[in-house]
Amino acid sequence: MKGLLTGAAALALIAGAAQAEEVTLQLKWVTQAQFAGYYVAKDKGFYEEEGLEVTIKPGGPDIAPVQVLLGGGADVMVDWMPSALAAREQGADIVNIAQPFKSSGMMLTCLKESGVSTPEDFKGKTLGVWFGGNEYPFLNWMSKLGLPTDGSPEGVTVLKQGFNVDPLLQKQAACISTMTYNEYWQVIDAGLKPEDLVTFKYEDQGVATLEDGLYVMSDKLKDPAFSETMVKFVRASMKGWKWAEENPDEAADIVLENDDTGAQTETHQKRMMGEIAKLTAGSNGALDEADYKRTVAALLGGGSDPVISKEPEGAWTHDITDKALN
Amino acid sequence: MIWILAALAFWIGTLLLNVRISHSRFSTTRAGRLVVPAIFGLTILVVWELLVRGLQVPSVILPPPSAIGARIASSLPVLWGDFVQTFVKGALTGWLIGCGAAVLTAIAIDRSPFLQRGLLPVGNFVAALPIVGIAPILVMWFGFDWQSKAAVVVVMVFFPVLVNTVAGLAATDSMQRDLMKTYSASYAQTLLKLRLPAAMPFIFNGLKIATTLALIGAIVAEFFGSPIRGMGFRISTEVGRLGLDMVWAEIAVAALAGSAFYGAVALIERGVTFWHPSQRRQQ
Repeated sequence: MKGLLTGAAALALIAGAAQAEEVTLQLKWVTQAQFAGYYVAKDKGFYEEEGLEVTIKPGGPDIAPVQVLLGGGADVMVDWMPSALAAREQGADIVNIAQPFKSSGMMLTCLKESGVSTPEDFKGKTLGVWFGGNEYPFLNWMSKLGLPTDGSPEGVTVLKQGFNVDPLLQKQAACISTMTYNEYWQVIDAGLKPEDLVTFKYEDQGVATLEDGLYVMSDKLKDPAFSETMVKFVRASMKGWKWAEENPDEAADIVLENDDTGAQTETHQKRMMGEIAKLTAGSNGALDEADYKRTVAALLGGGSDPVISKEPEGAWTHDITDKALN
Repeated sequence: MIWILAALAFWIGTLLLNVRISHSRFSTTRAGRLVVPAIFGLTILVVWELLVRGLQVPSVILPPPSAIGARIASSLPVLWGDFVQTFVKGALTGWLIGCGAAVLTAIAIDRSPFLQRGLLPVGNFVAALPIVGIAPILVMWFGFDWQSKAAVVVVMVFFPVLVNTVAGLAATDSMQRDLMKTYSASYAQTLLKLRLPAAMPFIFNGLKIATTLALIGAIVAEFFGSPIRGMGFRISTEVGRLGLDMVWAEIAVAALAGSAFYGAVALIERGVTFWHPSQRRQQ
């Protein structure tokens, strides 16, 4: 009898703790201002106001967010749409519930001295590209320019670039992939001047694909309780994002406080937050269908090896953002 | 459920079959000796296939062998291109340079006590370098193509071959060396006619260890920057796009190539060291 009573007491305690709904978010990359909105929402208590207890898991070069989501290690993840759609083709049933980033921050950064000033100059040059799902916008762009990526003299030679900017500094490549908010500044910090460089933003070239969106497993979303939790999560996260846009310096400080590795510096994070704010500015969190269609068209036309072979269905939903934002 | 029961039944059936074969007179023949492991390998593949289907494991976690086989069949040109890039250009070149340099260094060490005190610790030091630390640096030095992969392989295989060769050169006993002296043989003659042949079992031991290291080194080095070909490149990029069947296809190719490479070196060893007790055939 006594055992029963303590058991009941324990159950009551657990029920009390469960008042706060737990959500685990898997980031695409390491802790940095690219994810400031989530850290702000956590730090400023926006999640708490919604009755959520959010755990933010940083990613890294050896972490595929989709695999974490499929393995049950997270409820929701931040991922780029090309790799998310590629994962859908492979049978991972994931769906986009919100799109905090309106614009793409991806660009090619080239050394002026290598003789590149327009995309026509790429022919015969060596270009550094990230793989692992980030290569699709590039391949699509090259097929638009009519340049084969097989290393032939009529085309371009592609290098698989690590997540650093060495190939450009070492002059092993004429151009490398950079994000406006991160690697570009690493090149600048390494001692090159903006006037030594030429940049081509994917956004300006008309080949941009949607970046950092929020994705969950479709079957979990059928559960009304989970979808209600996600509505709260998206609402609080977007509140965090808009706060970060208005207070970039303080948002960068919050990110630094949350960086356990101590690898990030204040100047770099403040610059990054300034650039990130430009990318999130146009979005209230709801996915713009025109952007989605442009991304899909870009992926279907990925040249010889398209990333997705057929038009995806049910890859995104407005249900969550409609409830969260109105 | 039916799949799982089928897997269990198949496993028990082949197990009993193998036990019967091992106890029969057939097992003493050459064919019998090959049939038992072949049945075992087949069992693993069939049970894997049935369990993955029965337990409905998502292909992202573990694809069935049939899907991997289909991927191998449909991507032969890609797999061949990757094999040439990583194995022939990267691993084999690096293995030849690394092992050659190690044997020559061992002879130099053997010749001079000065080098013995200076070079062996350096070899030791090089062996302790973590591959993930040196690979990006070597990519910076030697570029993105196979040359940097070969350099990583050289660093990896150098030390085991060096240590084994140095040990092998010390393997002759003083009675044999005294005999050479009574023939008034020079250092070079003693080396070629007595000490190198006596060292061969040791050297081949190092060469065999180096085959597997070379393949691992060449594949892992490609994770740190590569052209858009090669086994390591394919594995790292296909994981990113969840093409796990392709990853397994590359693993299968790597396993076959590694085994064949090891087998080839073991065959050469059998020819070179036919006199050694370890090479005697069971009669």
